[in-house]
Amino acid sequence: MTQPFQHARVQRATPSSRIAMSLCVIVLVGLVTMPWWASSGNIRWAIELSCYLAIAQMWNLLAGYAGLVSVGQQAFIGVAGYMLFVLAQNFGVNPFVAVILSLIAPAVLAVPTYLLLRRLDGPYFAIGTWVVAEAVRLATSNIDYLNAGAGLTLRVMTQYSQHEREVAFVILCALLLVATIGGSYWLLRSRIGLALTAMRDNPVAAASQGVNVGRLRFAIFIAAAVGTGFAGAIYYMAQLRITPAAGFDPFWASMSIFIVMVGGIGAIEGAIVGALIYFFADRLFGEYGSAYLIVLGLLTLIIALYARGGVWGLLQKLGDHPWFPVQRKLVLEDKR
Amino acid sequence: MQWLDAIIQGVLLGGMYAQYALGMALMFGVMRIVNIAHGDVMILLSLTVITLAGVLPLGNIGLIVVIVPIAVLLGWVLQKFILNKVVGADPLPSLIATFGLSIALQNLMLEVWSADTRSLPNSGIASASFELGGIYMGVLPVLVLICAIVLTFGLDMVLRTSRFGRGLRAAAADTEAAAMTGVDPKRIYAIATAIAVGILGLAAVFAALRATVSPSDGSAQLIYAFEAVIIGGMGSLWGAFLGAMVLGVAQAIGLRIDPGLGILFGHLVFLAVLATRPEGIMARKK
Amino acid sequence: MTTPILSTHALTGGYGDFQALFGIDLHLDKGEVISLIGANGAGKSTFLKSIFGLLPVAPDMVRFEGTPVGGTPAHQMVRKGISMVPEGRRLFTGMTVEENMRVAIDNARMSEAEGPWSRDRLFQLFPILKEKRRQPIENLSGGQQQMVAISRALLCQPKVLLCDEISLGLAPKVIREIYAVLPEISAAGTSIVLVEQDVSLAREASHRLYCMLEGRITLAGASHDISREAIAAAYFGAA
Repeated sequence: MTQPFQHARVQRATPSSRIAMSLCVIVLVGLVTMPWWASSGNIRWAIELSCYLAIAQMWNLLAGYAGLVSVGQQAFIGVAGYMLFVLAQNFGVNPFVAVILSLIAPAVLAVPTYLLLRRLDGPYFAIGTWVVAEAVRLATSNIDYLNAGAGLTLRVMTQYSQHEREVAFVILCALLLVATIGGSYWLLRSRIGLALTAMRDNPVAAASQGVNVGRLRFAIFIAAAVGTGFAGAIYYMAQLRITPAAGFDPFWASMSIFIVMVGGIGAIEGAIVGALIYFFADRLFGEYGSAYLIVLGLLTLIIALYARGGVWGLLQKLGDHPWFPVQRKLVLEDKR
Repeated sequence: MQWLDAIIQGVLLGGMYAQYALGMALMFGVMRIVNIAHGDVMILLSLTVITLAGVLPLGNIGLIVVIVPIAVLLGWVLQKFILNKVVGADPLPSLIATFGLSIALQNLMLEVWSADTRSLPNSGIASASFELGGIYMGVLPVLVLICAIVLTFGLDMVLRTSRFGRGLRAAAADTEAAAMTGVDPKRIYAIATAIAVGILGLAAVFAALRATVSPSDGSAQLIYAFEAVIIGGMGSLWGAFLGAMVLGVAQAIGLRIDPGLGILFGHLVFLAVLATRPEGIMARKK
Repeated sequence: MTTPILSTHALTGGYGDFQALFGIDLHLDKGEVISLIGANGAGKSTFLKSIFGLLPVAPDMVRFEGTPVGGTPAHQMVRKGISMVPEGRRLFTGMTVEENMRVAIDNARMSEAEGPWSRDRLFQLFPILKEKRRQPIENLSGGQQQMVAISRALLCQPKVLLCDEISLGLAPKVIREIYAVLPEISAAGTSIVLVEQDVSLAREASHRLYCMLEGRITLAGASHDISREAIAAAYFGAA
């Protein structure tokens, strides 16, 4: 058999992805050095944006790849936040260590949640996650140890200087971004990624090709819970206060859905674009309150009806320049 | 006696939830769609009723006569311009679309009616009650429960014996095969949604009479309707009705134990049913 | 020459970007039975779905009694006088035998009294269905379910009946039983398109025969004049 091409190789990096990688490194270095060049206000913004990026990316992994639409991710934000406050405030654990330890809580909550809800059909699964989040919120509001509805305050943070706190926060945020965005990228490029992409496109066909859809969904659900909880713990540590109403606020779900749908579902880039849009829109129009939220809601509705790929999907139509290429391209080179 | 009272109050509360749940069961049964804005639509109708009552000299019956056609029309618009575009095997588009609608509606209501709680002016019926064997029952809650029973019975009859009912069940079983047999699925969907939202119109008047409503109440009503449908067993109208009773009783008992536990108890019963009998208490064995 | 009751003209189609049919010309005369044979994946079912408005086609590609009807939604095709026995029966689960029939009666071209087909007539044709009329459809055997599927299609009072692989997965005895009613359907004035994988069955039951291969018609002619060799060549594409 004659081979028309001398060399065939699998190409994974593209010029756009090399630029994006360099940018990521610059952004991470910039983030970690912020305490030495940026104002406290800007650092607070960076913490907030990092949390949005992480929470949205985790929701994208769930809904965009695993086919699990959740409107109850706030459950994991809240439990991780509460675990952190209890460990640091009541058990005297160093709060920056406690952030990592608090990831146990969302993981532990995710297991029974998934096992219970997996029996529900698509749209019912979504509302099921909401019920779980509501149940955890109400339970928290009724536990006196957690100061019931009044919530907890992280007083131990006063033992650190502002500079120390800021250094710790930017390092945690860098870790969070590497774990969630970097982790998603790594996951999607791995063998699991192939299975996930197959599952996104057609779960039945994927199952027939030997993908254990159930187990994969379970694993993704837990991973997303932990990633979301990580962001929640950092967010409420920066806030220094957590209440059931805030920690388990369904608005976290609304925000994730808005970011991912507007940015572009099923693409790492989409969640990033969406988070940036949301972050700046919030800064610019947040003061308009409900009018601004009407626009957000309608925008989500319109995207679901007419432009399922979101902003990233529209950009892709102009030219295929992925920042995080997860697909493999076969390049045939004729060397003769 | 205290617990018997709790159970009866719970059943009466369940009558309200049954009215929310019926429409949801109907829509999910035929379209596999859950309208996340279900509760918000009910609140919108409630607030509209309250405003209408302030402008027009209508009695409670008059309000129902006015609002139900409005609700039916609203259902038709919802179907025509949103739901028809997202019906399909993939649950994501319908969830996201109705989720966006829910956020937009909630905030639109905040703009129009502000965050205040409102209710219909007390016309006597809301506070009237009677005693039966030492237990006091409100006239209005009993009326709501009777209404829920009549609605469930009527809708179940329609599904079992009418031309529309057969078409709906056929479309629910296999949409394409139904179309091949001459059923127009879009027409069936439109009627189902119009009925579902029409029932919400009735529920909206009762809700405004029974208690106060505010623009952010919709999410809770959505969750109660959903829990009732799942507890009872998907795809069965009497199941949804029974699920609503179970939910109402669970909440009423929780409330007696501690005022903070009412709603939580409902959630816990829902989760317990999911853990032990996920097909729902009324579901037919396959 | 009289206008055929159903005809297709350079019909192309498929699923989304995937083209499965490449210019199909076929006609069915009034009172005629034609069969369409071909291997798995030849495009037979896709063709039926395209005729029936379940897949998008241009209006001119399908003519019914001479008027363009291509792309008309399936439920309106039923009103015009076409109905279909789908592959795999596709009965309405959770409903009884009679309820399945009544869905067709509810939406038929003409009422049960006016049209040639009534429940009574079908119960004579398939006596077992009368016995099981109040049973849920899930309780019936495969052959009995196929009888319900045929009854359901006939109760739409069609001028043209499309049958997609009605012998698939059934025992030979049951197949004979079902094919035995085709002449009676034909005698009632209904023209029939039979899609079959079983070549000898198709030949016996039809006046004319079309053979499809990879989305094209490779052979057409009177069923009894075509030699086995010609069919084999058209069926498998051997040159």
